[in-house]
Amino acid sequence: MTRTFTLPAGSGRFLAFLLLVVLVATAFTLAEPRFLSTQNMSAVTRHMAANGLAALGLTFVVIVRKFDLSFAGTACFAAMTIGYLIALGQPLWIAIPAGIVVGAAIGAFNGVVISYFRFPDIVTTIATGSIAAGLAFVYSNGRTIFQNFMSSGILDLNDARVFGYSLSFVFLLGLYAVAWFFMHRTRYGASFYATGENPVAAYYSGVPTRLYTMLAFVACGVTCVFAVLLILAESGTADTNEGANLLMPAYAGVFLGTALLGRTSVLATLAGTFLITMLLDGFSLLGIPFYYSDGVVSAILLAGVVFFDARLREFLSDIGSFLQPASVKKEKRS
Amino acid sequence: MTAPALRARAISKRFGPVNALSEVDFVLDTGEVHALLGVNGAGKSTFIKILSGVYRKDEGSIEVGGEAIDCRDPKEAIRHGIATVQQHPELVADFTGYENIFLGREAARSGLFSRIERTDLSRRANALLKRFPVDIDLSKTVAEMSAVEREIVAILQALAGDHIRVLILDEPTSTLTEVEKTVLFRLLDTLRQGGISVLYITHRLEEVMEIADRLSVFRGGRMVASMPVADVKAKNLSLAELMLGEALDHVFPPRAEPDAIGETVLAVRGLTAAGAFSNIGFELRRGEILGIFGLVGSGADELAKALFGAIPVEGGSVVLKGHTIAPRSPREALKAGIFLVPGDRRVEGLALTETSIFNITLANLKRASGAAGILKRAGNRTASGEFATRLSLSPPNLSMPVSGFSGGNQQKIVVAKGLFAEADVYIFVEPTIGVDIGARAKLYGLMRELSGTAGVIVLSSDCDEAHGIADRTFALYKGRQIAPPDGLQTRNQLLMAGIMGELHRD
Repeated sequence: MTRTFTLPAGSGRFLAFLLLVVLVATAFTLAEPRFLSTQNMSAVTRHMAANGLAALGLTFVVIVRKFDLSFAGTACFAAMTIGYLIALGQPLWIAIPAGIVVGAAIGAFNGVVISYFRFPDIVTTIATGSIAAGLAFVYSNGRTIFQNFMSSGILDLNDARVFGYSLSFVFLLGLYAVAWFFMHRTRYGASFYATGENPVAAYYSGVPTRLYTMLAFVACGVTCVFAVLLILAESGTADTNEGANLLMPAYAGVFLGTALLGRTSVLATLAGTFLITMLLDGFSLLGIPFYYSDGVVSAILLAGVVFFDARLREFLSDIGSFLQPASVKKEKRS
Repeated sequence: MTAPALRARAISKRFGPVNALSEVDFVLDTGEVHALLGVNGAGKSTFIKILSGVYRKDEGSIEVGGEAIDCRDPKEAIRHGIATVQQHPELVADFTGYENIFLGREAARSGLFSRIERTDLSRRANALLKRFPVDIDLSKTVAEMSAVEREIVAILQALAGDHIRVLILDEPTSTLTEVEKTVLFRLLDTLRQGGISVLYITHRLEEVMEIADRLSVFRGGRMVASMPVADVKAKNLSLAELMLGEALDHVFPPRAEPDAIGETVLAVRGLTAAGAFSNIGFELRRGEILGIFGLVGSGADELAKALFGAIPVEGGSVVLKGHTIAPRSPREALKAGIFLVPGDRRVEGLALTETSIFNITLANLKRASGAAGILKRAGNRTASGEFATRLSLSPPNLSMPVSGFSGGNQQKIVVAKGLFAEADVYIFVEPTIGVDIGARAKLYGLMRELSGTAGVIVLSSDCDEAHGIADRTFALYKGRQIAPPDGLQTRNQLLMAGIMGELHRD
């Protein structure tokens, strides 16, 4: 009798992910020994917090098979709202919830028009994102807001430490734990997945699919405000383009994670975000300008998307066979 | 002895765990109309998809006119003289018949900028029409054409390559009226005389007798019979029995005993939905199964969806266990106690990449979860496991994505989902499409069992199914309910009511 070990489903992919992390870390450490330094690792975790928070809400949207391209603009507007209220002398417990309300409101608007009025998701969110990015200029005519930042206490969010880890990283892990439990252990998470997997079957099973689609956009609007809040705390000023750099890492995190772990999930996004942040950080440590590193990471994102999308893969292989010398006369069919 | 038009030897095809075709041998003679019969999921479609180059065979060989071929795509099959007309031909609605026929072949040597010569097109189309005299006006756009005219345009399109020797038609008559069929059959007769072989898939036995020279029967991925039609008549064989593989009586459970029939569960009065059906009325009692026979376009699918709240109704009333209900969504219908096993389980019934447990619990997540909506993982696994055992789910793997199951087992998962939902009325639409005979018997048995505690309605476009499973039946014909007050008694009455829209007394 031979005994066979069966690993939990997906563990092969998880091991592959760990291997990839070790490989990337080794490569960066060989090129630049400071990569593994405490200082750099703490920077990685801090950057990961902002990227990861934006990616978390996006995960919900991707699970219901939609796209949200507005959250970078939303984050800018929310950042300026928070900055403006701080500059007016309002306490953080007013300024921060106000920013969250802005994010939730834009997310709810996206969600309502896309799920209830069937607006196309990509076009709608490009439009609302652009409007929000424009509104970010209204408070100060585009000037940087910094008044009262030092005294407001917002900088403490960046500097505070819990059990030796930065507060932002602990907040990230905590929120991911809550999101994981919600998404993978409750009926509500099952409804999100059912809505994305097969909206017709979900509807026939009594799942209010439009409501869940709407809520995914709200989640995305809220978490991008969390992300930009950490950026505000780190920079100590509010700029009109404060959230503009959230878009690409968030998408890269979600889709790379999906490609790595086989399906979109909270853990997949965490894994994808970790890898992306490590890459971006490593490149900047090596002194590679952002316009190259962004390109490399985006290329990795594209590869991940192709890997993830079976239809796209099929399409590409069709193109491949189309490019092969064909003796068959090309036929045009409707 | 000349080689047959087409010969297939030992064709096998697997899809994952499913043996779609096992060692099929098949001969198509020159100039014959050959009918391909079999229940849904028997392997007919897979077989013609292999012949027409859509799928590739795993094993076996195919010869056309004595020459071995191995088609990688439909274009290659057409090059070898095998053309296929799909069940729903893809024609360009705004183009005329002529333009559709020569779509993509406008000029013998077409460059990107070569002009389409309309007069030349119509001249060539008329030449084609001379070969196959069919009286239709090809200068009409397809949008203006009737179903049979479209079918003929699709056939002429397929034949526009002059070298076509084998024409495959996938259920060409499913949407045609009786009169339109004779037009199509005249064309098939002309093709036969012109030496073209026609392979013809159908579900309608009476048509086979009318038009075909020979027939082949598929069952469970195997070819179980191939014979001249005359033999069927001479030996008085039962094609239905050949298709199902056993006497029909054994597939269906016994009908309800009169004293087992209890109180009225569901009463429907004057139910109407614009453009789909009007003035439908019936009562459903505990302990009995109501069978509704309706072809495509009869309104049967819409009736089921209207009862389930998925499409709106204009008038009428639905009373469930004494309470008038008017569900505006499946969610409300489920809450009221109605569950629909939809006709298209892959589109309407299942989240295919999710597990059995996920799918089984989906229609009653309230039951599947406890405080704060936290899923009862162990409980759900146990409950799903019980249903899997009760329905003989194969393989009994609850953690595998449901896309890996065969059609019959996927249907069992949808039914298990209904059981988990604990409804008072179960509506089954086309419950056994793509389901093999063993699973069919299992499903029918379960419907009978369910009828003991809940109301069961079965809507089917298969008259034998609607008649065989039910205690009472009526037919739907173009949205009208065809039934005398006491219900339809015999299979033939039901068949005539559903196909012709008329009541006949035997």
